[in-house]
Amino acid sequence: MGQLKLENLKKSFGTVEVIKGVSLDVKHGEFIVFVGPSGCGKSTLLRMIAGLEDITEGDVIIDDVRVNALPPVKRGIAMVFQSYALYPHMSVYENIAFPLRVEKLPQAEVDEKVHKAADILKLNERLQYRPGELSGGQRQRVAIGRAIVREPSIFLFDEPLSNLDAALRASMRIELSKLHHDLDATMIYVTHDQIEAMTMADRIVVLDGGVISQVGSPLELYHSPDNLFVAGFIGNPKMNFMDVTCTGVGKNSIDVELVTGEKLTIPVTARAGIEGQKLTLGIRPEHTTTDGCDITISLNANVVERLGAHTVVYADAPGVELGDDPEAANRFSSIQGGMANIRANQRFDIGIKASDCHLFDEQGAAFKRNIDLSSLDLPEMQASA
Amino acid sequence: MINKYKWYEYILIYAGIALFVAFMLAPFLEAFLVSMRPLSEIFTIPYAFLTDNMSFDAYFDMWRNVPRLHIYIMNSFFIATAVTIIALICVIPAAWGFARFEFKGRDAILGAFLAINMVGGTVLIITLYKLMQKLGFLNTYWAMIIPGAAFSIPTGIWLMRSYLMKIPKSLEEAAWVDGASRLYILRRIILPIAMPGIIVVAIATFIGAYAQQFLFALTFNSQDSLNPLPVGIYQFFGRQEIIWNELMAASLVGILPVLIIYIFLQRYIVAGLTAGAVKE
Repeated sequence: MGQLKLENLKKSFGTVEVIKGVSLDVKHGEFIVFVGPSGCGKSTLLRMIAGLEDITEGDVIIDDVRVNALPPVKRGIAMVFQSYALYPHMSVYENIAFPLRVEKLPQAEVDEKVHKAADILKLNERLQYRPGELSGGQRQRVAIGRAIVREPSIFLFDEPLSNLDAALRASMRIELSKLHHDLDATMIYVTHDQIEAMTMADRIVVLDGGVISQVGSPLELYHSPDNLFVAGFIGNPKMNFMDVTCTGVGKNSIDVELVTGEKLTIPVTARAGIEGQKLTLGIRPEHTTTDGCDITISLNANVVERLGAHTVVYADAPGVELGDDPEAANRFSSIQGGMANIRANQRFDIGIKASDCHLFDEQGAAFKRNIDLSSLDLPEMQASA
Repeated sequence: MINKYKWYEYILIYAGIALFVAFMLAPFLEAFLVSMRPLSEIFTIPYAFLTDNMSFDAYFDMWRNVPRLHIYIMNSFFIATAVTIIALICVIPAAWGFARFEFKGRDAILGAFLAINMVGGTVLIITLYKLMQKLGFLNTYWAMIIPGAAFSIPTGIWLMRSYLMKIPKSLEEAAWVDGASRLYILRRIILPIAMPGIIVVAIATFIGAYAQQFLFALTFNSQDSLNPLPVGIYQFFGRQEIIWNELMAASLVGILPVLIIYIFLQRYIVAGLTAGAVKE
């Protein structure tokens, strides 16, 4: 089976601590995605699970066995590398067969397993080619094939799609999701691409500076981020953050006042003693249309990006930040309809609905939104069934 | 285009190349011409490019005058081959270790290797003599092979290491994850991928050993049947005169094996020196 447990895992390179205590429980059959900005330690964490990096502190437990000291091959894992790591001097067949050759399996068995993997990955025609003669997507499939033949209980993927172009990435995403379904194996997948995380994961682990910022299903992270970091990281374009002042606390709501003077009552779980404090209000660009809104704000459009299905408008707005990007200070982004009548350097209206808003305290922690997330936990359970 | 030259620049470039090539090849040409001349025509004044009675006679006479000539050539070849094989056996794992593994004193050892290279064999010849004497290697092939290998290993490690460092580390990690042992990785992954680099090191070592053996043979060996060619051709130095034409003929024949090897493996040398084409 493919259960994985990380217990207070830590990793230091010299005096620099890159993983600062990570604990995680992964059930059999789950598709877990580690996501985060570069340098957050996601690849290091994966390499620690794989056995390519020593563990400074804490435990990695696979199927109830502590594997800290075991070499990779004894851990029941297989890994797919970002650079594919194919052996250039071997044919596709030999590349896929490599782990079986190491095990010294009889030729008949090697043949059977390689062909089975090639069938799954549609590589039958290419078995005698060298990796150098294949396209990027085919190479990636060979690398996956090499992982499949081992029949591991846990697959580890280290940014496997980042060397592919956008179209190929989209189709490989679908293939990987299908593969996950067919193989009934646990997959741990590292990426910095939030689209890959949102589309494939049962649960996403958002890492920030060596600690887990939040773990949850894609929609949980989207609708109910625990903190400013996750709120700014998930979603594209990023969530708009506005400085607001708390003017009052209701039973299940907080009253805030925007810098422009508008007042809103946000339906979140409140706590006492925050009146007068500076809070941060988050509103996603896709939630800024004027239909059924509670307040409207007039902004000056700077840049208008027409994507056909919708229009992304960027506008100057004092006291607004786009995600955690310091470059994007005082910029507000809004997604409008594809045919929206907005031009650059013209004023346009955005609407904000209080129930769409996120609210964060001075430390960046979110006030819990009053929305029902129970229906969002479904995908995780389906996948393991 | 950045490498577009004017016509006079081309003339200058080619003139420079011609001058350089002439310097390199003139001794060979002269050696060849001398080998063709009868002994009486060799020291003609003024110098004549072509002289009377040129023939290939020296190439036949030399085998008669120095009956062991073929043994010297074989010895040269054998010693250089043995040096190359021993050096490669030491260089490849060592270079891999230096390229991939972190250990205490790695850079210090590499620096020491470079320093030894600068000193060279000649300076150490007397201590080496004592060493060979103590080990009982004097007047055996070992006396010529072991120092030859020892002095070519540091250069080999430096060459090989820089080549191995270009092989992506993830290839080894992938094999390691798949359960391959270090030696299995070395044999099945590193050796085949590094083959152009290994051939470059092998050729460099072979040529070096071929040239270097004179010193060790002259000092450590007095048994004529073990002598390599550079020492063997001393026998053309007669009591009265030096048989220059046969000496040159023997030299040229002695160079031949290296030349043939070089021609066959040339494409690997080019591939090896323009390395980095390894990446998937």
